[in-house]
Amino acid sequence: MPIPLPEALTEFVEGGMSILVGTRDAALRPEASRGVGASVSPDRSRLTVYLNVAVADRTLANIDENGEIAVTFSRVVDHRTFQVKGKVLGVRRSGKKDRGIQEQWLAAFVEQLYLAGLPRSISRRLRFWPSVAVEFEIHDVFAQTPGPGAGRKLEVAG
Amino acid sequence: MSSFDELPPRCFQGVIPAAIATVSRDGTPNITYLSQLFRLENGRAALSCQFFNKTKQNVFENPYATVELWDPVSFDAYRLELRYLHSETAGPLFDQMAMRIQAIASHTGMKGVFRLISADVYEVLACEKREGFLEPAGELGPPEPLDDQLPRTELRGLQLVTQRTCRAQTLDDLLTTLLESLKDAFGFRHSMVLMPDESGERLFTVASRGYGDEGVGAEIAIGDGLLGTVASRKQLLCISSIEGELRYGRAVRASVQATRTRRELTPEIPLPGLPDAQSQLAIPLVAGERLVGVLAVESRSALEFDEWHEAFLQIVGNQAAVAIENVLLRERSEGDDAPESHAVPIPEDDAPPSRIPRRFRFFRNDDCVFVDDEYLIRNVPGRILWKLLREHLETGRTEFSNRELRLDAALGLPAIRDNLESRLVLLRKRLEQKCPELRLFSTARGHFHFEARCPLRLEEAGG
Repeated sequence: MPIPLPEALTEFVEGGMSILVGTRDAALRPEASRGVGASVSPDRSRLTVYLNVAVADRTLANIDENGEIAVTFSRVVDHRTFQVKGKVLGVRRSGKKDRGIQEQWLAAFVEQLYLAGLPRSISRRLRFWPSVAVEFEIHDVFAQTPGPGAGRKLEVAG
Repeated sequence: MSSFDELPPRCFQGVIPAAIATVSRDGTPNITYLSQLFRLENGRAALSCQFFNKTKQNVFENPYATVELWDPVSFDAYRLELRYLHSETAGPLFDQMAMRIQAIASHTGMKGVFRLISADVYEVLACEKREGFLEPAGELGPPEPLDDQLPRTELRGLQLVTQRTCRAQTLDDLLTTLLESLKDAFGFRHSMVLMPDESGERLFTVASRGYGDEGVGAEIAIGDGLLGTVASRKQLLCISSIEGELRYGRAVRASVQATRTRRELTPEIPLPGLPDAQSQLAIPLVAGERLVGVLAVESRSALEFDEWHEAFLQIVGNQAAVAIENVLLRERSEGDDAPESHAVPIPEDDAPPSRIPRRFRFFRNDDCVFVDDEYLIRNVPGRILWKLLREHLETGRTEFSNRELRLDAALGLPAIRDNLESRLVLLRKRLEQKCPELRLFSTARGHFHFEARCPLRLEEAGG
């Protein structure tokens, strides 16, 4: 059953977080990759995460095979983290509007990494284009900030 | 497979947390951050397990994991395919990982809450670089190459450190020389040596370099924080990206507080040293089985100390421990003879004595000495100072011996293996900083000169 993203997390998802994307193949072998930007649908029931096509082959093959996806959003400066799990609805090539979202994401992410001590000259080289947009519906949201509460399912109200 | 062994060591220092993806038996993927990935021999890797989490549950059900690892200098990404083998809850690997976690935990006031449950060992099935992860360096140029001249330079440095420290006559000389040579030979500009106090439960800073005046005399309990942990475990600890790891520790602390776990959290211990240190290396100085002290080096760069430095500084640490033991033995054995003449001439002081009196107050209850309402020193060195001040004022004496201090039961020096020399070094440095009119210096091994170049006012408070 799809659920909406808690409203408080919308800004978080769109705010230059470190984004990790997990998928798996038919043999239940996992794949890890980085997302390069994300956005939330107006009704908060769907998320879009962007992938750098140069390093997305396995992830896209997995999505094509079974559509299972887990995406973790983490704020670099304080490790506040949560994970969203769901089912992919569709994959498309990113357009001009998507590129704008991704550019904003990279600018904010570079600043986050800078605060954590990574020079901007390095983090700005993170390739985000050309990209694909992966849209998925949300089935579960988990608190993932490191600690004993990590992995707890968040209660989602309406 | 060989490429895993060839990844730069800095990729395993946790500067940028790695990502790990796993899959449950029913096919749901999970992806999260790893606090630390260790590279082992024979194509294996180990992950630290601090909490029984989804990753752990998944690998019990389905042993495959994929890790994405980032090089913190070039930002290149590497993809590792892993297969879970087993968990270790004792042994050298577990101890090494546990020590690191304990240091971070006690540093963030979470001793006992945040601890290693197991070291989880994985086989590395594949390792590849993610081509196309980054844009070409372009006009920014490639990242600075690592200095491949390091080993040769450092061997020369070791020679310098050894030569200089061997010549030192007193503990004071030795410590100053050691820290100076570390700077000259290796560019370590922020360093300190801590030694155990009389109780053996605390360390105090006896020498420091690169921290201004404030370093000497600072204390830390053995077992607490990074330096205290190194002292209690007698194992070297190198932490890169201190901020990153402490941030991780604090995130756990915040989440522990949020979930109101069973125990109260102790207050966070402030990190001694640079407020913006990015990496710290602490080396236990051990002679035989005995902890002589801790040598700590800090840097504002997250990647200052790579694996080579660790192995190497361990050698420096061994040298330093032996040198300290030797100089102490010499100071003690020769201190019993009365000096025929001053082996070390009393330094000339051209400045005329001050006519402004300085007021010393000894607070017996708190065991500490204040000078003109400013804290000066406490415990054993405080009592020594009080004894010297009183005798100097009452009898005009200026020559003292370590031996008579040892025999004075009121000072409370331990009967066996006392640390009088390190306490005198601390006292001399505190006087130099807070009250330069009092001059204390060694005249021969085991003998020292003490004089006041100002009128003295002494008061005792608190019974």
